[in-house]
Amino acid sequence: MKTRDVVRSLTFRGIVTYVTALSAIVFLLLGAVYLYFSYTSFRTLGESVMSELETLEVVYSGQSLAGVTQYIDDQLASSSIHRFYYLVTDAEGIKIAGDLPARPSYREFDDGWLGFELALQNWGQSIDVEFLAYPMLLGDGYEVMVARDYADIVDRAELVFTTLFRFLIATWILGVIGGFFSAARTLDRVERLNLEVSRIIRGGANERLQVKEEKGYIRVLAMFMNQMLEQMEALMQGVRRVSDNIAHDLRTPLTRMRNDLSQLRDRSRQEEGGQLERIIEECDELLSSFNAVLRISTLESGSRLAGGSDVELRALLRDVVELYEPLAEQRSIDLALEAPEPQVCKGDTDLLFQMFANLLDNAVKYTQSLGHIRVQMSTKLTADGSRRHCVVISDSGPGIAFLERDHVFRRFYRVESSRGEHPGHGLGLSLVQAIAQYHYGSVELANNNPGLRVKVELP
Amino acid sequence: MNVLLVEDDQQVGDFIATELTAVGHHCVREIDGAAGLRAAQNATFDVMVIDRMMPQMDGLALINALRDAGDNTPVIILSALGEVDDRVQGLHCGADDYLVKPFAMPELLARLDVLHRRVSAAVGESETTLVVVDLSMDLLRQHVQRQAINITLQPREYKLLEYLMRHAGQVVTRAMLLEHVWGYHFDPQTNVIDVHVSRLRQKIDKGFDHALLSTVRGKGYRLGPQLDD
Repeated sequence: MKTRDVVRSLTFRGIVTYVTALSAIVFLLLGAVYLYFSYTSFRTLGESVMSELETLEVVYSGQSLAGVTQYIDDQLASSSIHRFYYLVTDAEGIKIAGDLPARPSYREFDDGWLGFELALQNWGQSIDVEFLAYPMLLGDGYEVMVARDYADIVDRAELVFTTLFRFLIATWILGVIGGFFSAARTLDRVERLNLEVSRIIRGGANERLQVKEEKGYIRVLAMFMNQMLEQMEALMQGVRRVSDNIAHDLRTPLTRMRNDLSQLRDRSRQEEGGQLERIIEECDELLSSFNAVLRISTLESGSRLAGGSDVELRALLRDVVELYEPLAEQRSIDLALEAPEPQVCKGDTDLLFQMFANLLDNAVKYTQSLGHIRVQMSTKLTADGSRRHCVVISDSGPGIAFLERDHVFRRFYRVESSRGEHPGHGLGLSLVQAIAQYHYGSVELANNNPGLRVKVELP
Repeated sequence: MNVLLVEDDQQVGDFIATELTAVGHHCVREIDGAAGLRAAQNATFDVMVIDRMMPQMDGLALINALRDAGDNTPVIILSALGEVDDRVQGLHCGADDYLVKPFAMPELLARLDVLHRRVSAAVGESETTLVVVDLSMDLLRQHVQRQAINITLQPREYKLLEYLMRHAGQVVTRAMLLEHVWGYHFDPQTNVIDVHVSRLRQKIDKGFDHALLSTVRGKGYRLGPQLDD
């Protein structure tokens, strides 16, 4: 089994689509949840800045600027990691207290919030850190600004998103690998089932699928298929039984009747004898159609050719042509065989002879005198590289109208124009088709311009 | 000719027995395989006619039992099956000929005759010249003469004439010719065989005062001096 087959299989494609969609949805959901938490973090941060400003306002109103300066110095002295940054300026914008530089370049956000970047000295390294700040007027031109960095929030967000993304990729890859193996397994089982089924098609309905090796739904499927095969076999046996019964129950009395008639003829006078002779002939006709129908039924309902012997087609065709040569000659029809080299196929000699004899019989029957009949044999390679034998019998007769070409293979069907004009019971071509199909071959009719062209293909 | 007939169908059996007796054969009838086997072991027959499908012991089993016991009496199987594998199966188990029901009585009579002659004339297989009245065939030189006049035949015509000469005086049916001269077992839809026979007749009978090859109406052909019928 090829990787390409697995990748192309529906199961694999289905699993890949599913895994992709699932990862995307999980990613989006977790992303949304995290965005919500980030938003909450920012809000908490904003609220803490506001409450710090309120504290400063209270301090200012109680102890004026000196109190504020004192408060800020106290706060800066306590070195907590997440702390506030301050800037107090006078009316001219001159820095009075705080640890922020006098004039960082601010970006203005909505609702009076400001954002800026500042390099902080951390363990001897200067790192650019993002700040969020809010300014407030204290009175007498004094202004205080409280800021807080949010690097931790951003770091956390980056970490979470990177992790999420990596998980997404890992899940996708694992899912696809799993999908590949599970598709390969399914495909393998289906392929095994296919092989089994094609074995049954070749071998006949008495074969069964191996259920023991299968598991799960394939086992159930195999069991159902076996039940189906059982029903089919029962039906086929039924058909065979019916035709055997017909053979036994109807042909036997017909034969008795015919034999009684023949005894009667031997004992009868001249003029009655002639009449009885005609009845006997009718009886024989009836019996021979009967036999032909039964033969076709058996060929069609039974299992196909199993094994068969080697048949040399050129020799067989030579014999058929030779058999019909005198008949063709009698009617001044030119009958020629074109078979450059011997070809061997597997088959039943008598049946193949019957098939080609029927076709030649028709050709001779329907070709007017001074016409010609060609029998050509060749081989061709099929798409899957196997050889097929091809026998074409073409004549210069009236041919068969396009619309009637499918019907002529039906039992008892006779082309309207030939009814009454030519003898026959309309079973010849049905038998030809049954024999060809029994040999895993096919029959096709085509126009020979003018005439009929019958192409028989045998494996 | 001493014939053992094993057939379970009362009417078919009656008919065959009557016909056999009518042409001068002696016929012993049994209605199932076991009785048939007993009869075959107790007496000697020239030919046996055995139905294939019978209660208790079917025809094939009966023939197997006979052959195992060393009995080589020629056997014709009668069968209502006659489908693809059945003929081969029947002939494989030791039958000498196979006739599918329904059959015409002349067909059975002709085949019985041939089988009987084959056994009694087995010594004559090695002869090098066949002679029927004034017609002679040199098998070594593949040469045919009638009244010292050479007759040129096509290979198939030669085989046809050889078969007819080997069974001179007997009725040979169309099916027998197809089987033995052409080597195929099939149902011709038209009178192809007749055309071949009439061609042969042109060559061996035309210009001679009496015809040797005659058509027996409803039965087949016969090579030999004309009978009065």
